[in-house]
Amino acid sequence: MFPTSTQCKFWMFSSEEELNKLRERANIKHVQIYGRQINDSTKYDFFLSPEEEKIMVKRYELHLRDFCKRFQPPMPRCVVGTSFHYFKRFYINNSVMNYHPKEIMVTCIYLACKVEEFNVSIQQFVSNIKGDREKATDIILNNELLLMEQLNFHLSIHNPFRPVEGLLIDIKTRGSLHDPERLRPGIEHFLEKALLTDAIMLYSPSQVALAAVLHAASKLQENLDSYVTDILFGEDGKGKLEDLIEAVRGIRSMVKMADSVLDKNQQKILDKKLEKCRNPENNPDSEIYKRRMQAMLDEDDDLYHAISAQNQSLDNSALNMSIPDSPEVA
Amino acid sequence: MMVNVCGHGLCESCVDLLFLKGSGACPECKIPLRRNNFRVQLFEDASVEKEVDIRKRVLRDFNKKEEDFNSLADYNNYLEEVETIIYNLTNNIDVVNTNKKIEQYKRDNKEQILKSKGKLGRDEYELEELLELEKQMEEARKLEIQIEEVESKKKKIREKEALIDELMFSNADAKNIIDTFAQQVQQEKEEKSKQVPAKATQFSTGIQFGRQTQASFLPVPVDEGPLYRYQSITFTTDGPRPPSDYELTNKGFINHVRAETEQERAGGFKSVIACKRALQDALVGLFHTKKVATTY
Repeated sequence: MFPTSTQCKFWMFSSEEELNKLRERANIKHVQIYGRQINDSTKYDFFLSPEEEKIMVKRYELHLRDFCKRFQPPMPRCVVGTSFHYFKRFYINNSVMNYHPKEIMVTCIYLACKVEEFNVSIQQFVSNIKGDREKATDIILNNELLLMEQLNFHLSIHNPFRPVEGLLIDIKTRGSLHDPERLRPGIEHFLEKALLTDAIMLYSPSQVALAAVLHAASKLQENLDSYVTDILFGEDGKGKLEDLIEAVRGIRSMVKMADSVLDKNQQKILDKKLEKCRNPENNPDSEIYKRRMQAMLDEDDDLYHAISAQNQSLDNSALNMSIPDSPEVA
Repeated sequence: MMVNVCGHGLCESCVDLLFLKGSGACPECKIPLRRNNFRVQLFEDASVEKEVDIRKRVLRDFNKKEEDFNSLADYNNYLEEVETIIYNLTNNIDVVNTNKKIEQYKRDNKEQILKSKGKLGRDEYELEELLELEKQMEEARKLEIQIEEVESKKKKIREKEALIDELMFSNADAKNIIDTFAQQVQQEKEEKSKQVPAKATQFSTGIQFGRQTQASFLPVPVDEGPLYRYQSITFTTDGPRPPSDYELTNKGFINHVRAETEQERAGGFKSVIACKRALQDALVGLFHTKKVATTY
């Protein structure tokens, strides 16, 4: 149930401004930690600005969508929706410069596959990735726990897909619309775009679903307003109708804005900039990262050695204890 | 003195001498005896010894228990019969017939005898339990004594050391010191003797006074606190009320979802479930708004 979910409690926000503020804060925090020697006026020459970060995230959301579309075996829609949620949530509190969106993106999808019970093995998963698959495997598995931690282990996601089904059933039963199945292509198109916006973090899944249905209906010159006001809300929601209308309007306008095309030239510049300013500790190609990984491995080994040494000494001491007790020696 | 089934006593060396071959006749009544049946005489009267022996033998076959009888009278008759047999054998009355009787009984009750052999009577069982308990108490007592001894030894050593220390480092007269220590020891002894020994509730062997009841059961735990009261769960929808189960079928919602297949129904799935879930998801959260929360 959505109203009792962690999604409603912790991951719904009041406005885009609130979201932007949180993202800005993540950016500033990162710059403060890693850019102490650079003065304020020139810091964005080196680091990405919050605006630029947003563009990066946006771009990788498009990548995410395309990756999921091409994925073999074809994945159910809820996996895509869940991945989008994870990806967005992650970059609310984290800077793009700290964790590269390319890596987080695949990890999000991998985790979503698991959570939504779309069973693919990691081998099967990385076979969808171009380039070094072994490295990709390492990246995904190393980042998986980090991702879950950043999501606060709130893994269950309520997607708008099932509410759409419910609304269609309701319209077929109680509404007067002729052949509601006609709405489907429009709904799907709308939801796909909605996932690219922040709407899924501002409005409940059922609201997004309703917006999609209404949008699809208006595309076909049909009017569902009377269904919503008289049948859907009817007695129960007399005073709530205004909020809903506003929500639907908000969602639709956000989705309309989602179409903006990104400037390719600018993307290349940003990519280069990010390559320079990203946190080397989390870059699997950097020396620092490799050393850190090695250190972690060694630590494990050391721990193992320490434990085995301790066991050894315990064994020995136990043996020593038993010597004076044994009659042969005595 | 040694004694055999006939009940005539012989001393150990005579037994060794007379029964060198392992078997022979009793020097008094000429009954053939076996050497390994000789045992130490427990009762002064040899005839009692004989009776005990016969009783043992007879009871090996007449081993019915009270539970095997329908009524107490039957059981008593049976006991009466057994006693008669034993009496007859012990006093050489009608031995041939009595032995025949035993043989007859043996033949008739072959299975019953075998069965009862393995069974321990209730009395035997209780006895065994008692013995076991006794053993445990004995061990515990031994341990206690041991610990006490060690304790007292340690105490003695400590007292001695204290005395020596006092003598070494104190400036007082040595005689005085010894006197005070001796007094202290005396005092302690008196105190100990004054301590009333705990009221005995059991024999030194650890058996409790009075007849013990059968192992008692733990009292049935009484659940305190208020009884559980069912409260129906409140269902926060944050949206219009979803249709009930009844309405799903009655108002025709169900007609717009795929009907479950036979295999699915076998697994417990019904299309109502999916239909209900979809409708709930569609209606729940429609009133959702974060703005209200921020105005407070």
